[in-house]
Amino acid sequence: MLGTFCVLSAGVQRAWSSSSCLFMDPSSPGLVLQSQSTDVFQNLALEDWIDAHVDLQQRSVLLLWRNRPTVVIGRHQNPWAECNLPAMRSAQVPVARRRSGGGTVYHDLGNLNLTFFASKKAYDRRRNLKVVTDALRRVRPQLDIQATDRLDILLNGHYKISGTASRLSRKSSYHHCTLLHSADRSAIAVLLRPSCPGIRSNATPSIPSPVANLSDHAPSLQWEELLEAVVQQYSSEFGLTSSSQCVDPADEALFPGVGSMEAELRSWEWTFGKTPKFSVETQLELRDERPAARCSAQLQLEVKNGRVESCRVEVPATWLPERLSASLAQALLGERFCPHRAAAALSALLRCESGPLHSRLHNLCDVLVAAMG
Amino acid sequence: MAACGLFRSFSSNFSTVWPLLARSPLLSPLRLTPTAYNGRTLASSSRLSAALKFTDKHEWIRVEDNGTGTVGISNFAQEALGDVVYCGLPEVGTQLAQQDEFGALESVKAASELYSPLTGEVVEVNTLLADNPGLVNKSCYKDGWLMKMTIAKPAELDSLMDEAAYERYIHSIED
Repeated sequence: MLGTFCVLSAGVQRAWSSSSCLFMDPSSPGLVLQSQSTDVFQNLALEDWIDAHVDLQQRSVLLLWRNRPTVVIGRHQNPWAECNLPAMRSAQVPVARRRSGGGTVYHDLGNLNLTFFASKKAYDRRRNLKVVTDALRRVRPQLDIQATDRLDILLNGHYKISGTASRLSRKSSYHHCTLLHSADRSAIAVLLRPSCPGIRSNATPSIPSPVANLSDHAPSLQWEELLEAVVQQYSSEFGLTSSSQCVDPADEALFPGVGSMEAELRSWEWTFGKTPKFSVETQLELRDERPAARCSAQLQLEVKNGRVESCRVEVPATWLPERLSASLAQALLGERFCPHRAAAALSALLRCESGPLHSRLHNLCDVLVAAMG
Repeated sequence: MAACGLFRSFSSNFSTVWPLLARSPLLSPLRLTPTAYNGRTLASSSRLSAALKFTDKHEWIRVEDNGTGTVGISNFAQEALGDVVYCGLPEVGTQLAQQDEFGALESVKAASELYSPLTGEVVEVNTLLADNPGLVNKSCYKDGWLMKMTIAKPAELDSLMDEAAYERYIHSIED
């Protein structure tokens, strides 16, 4: 499938020995690249690299890429609020934070990502989206395709098939968008919901939309045909010859420094540590088996830079002595907001306490850990 | 401007009350009372921005009485940005070199990086922006300030534009 993604009609695959060959052709006002990688962190790093190193004052670049199943959140979003991290852990679907703004999206191999690089002066998202809508209308004129004021692309006036985000830096800009060809829509429904209840945050929210795949409404539209159409439309809109080059975003010789950009994007500090400060307020349901009994408790915590900054666990004193719930809360301070870290921090406390309260304490710990997504 | 020339000769240890006194000969004698500095001399916006220096990335910095610099974005920048929906600001204590990225403003248009006008340490960030990011649009020179920082290398101020130079710069890029 990777090979299919890279081979494209008129383009001849060349071995690039250095990025200067790739980017310095003075005759061309632009360039179309296709990433060979399906790793979201490598692809996001390639975007960063192009943004930082390619002179976009006189030329533009289109990068086409896709990822293995991943959830991608916007620059200022809260991953716990936007996606179901426990379900993603079970399914081995990573979460990535991109540098552009906007909302949360699910990527898989049925979703095409397009990144339009330009100078800040030439930044024009509508023009870029017109490349996509014109390409679609050309290959499937019967489809009802419209870009909205919010720069979504809608199919039949109702289903979102593309969302947009962008970043402005020193001299350059990039605008990227998704395009749903044949993504797994059931995964979207399962994974794009909060990890835990009670989150209060001023992070930028996502706007949920009903989505559709192009392949559902135009079953004969193959991936290769879609790519070809987009490359041709971009080339004609931006005045290039219609061909594209395959690149390996992990190639340090071609993109010096891209490895450390990838490492930063993969890091916990970037993905989770950059989450705007938020609080969690939720009711915990506690249970005892023998004899059967129940009780409600309140959890209140503040998370800053992805770590527990303050924590209050209010359990009725008739259920558990206050000193125990207080020491539980204390044990979580400074830990990453993460069920594994919480479980590890609390297990030490559990070991110290035996006797009749042990099962209630154990239950409280389990419920606390579950509340942390 | 005389005030800028005078300021250049002082190290960061000196109180920055000097620039205010140095400017007073430029105003009429009637305005030498403290109330003259309430912003209502001449046009209030130009009185405010007379103390501002600007970067080519459209940030401004104002040197305060206590020697720290208040940083924000210019009116040109906030108009270009559109409605700000989120301000990503640095932690207090962050060390910044001149031109380092120190955060980002997210608007409907894009996430735009912010670049430090000077070298120094972040001493305060505008916490009002967490719940009211639109202040950056409504009051970019006053209530919508972004952060305050120490000025480790005052000489760097010379590399920034004063208001007149910044106005010329904007006109040149708009063409």
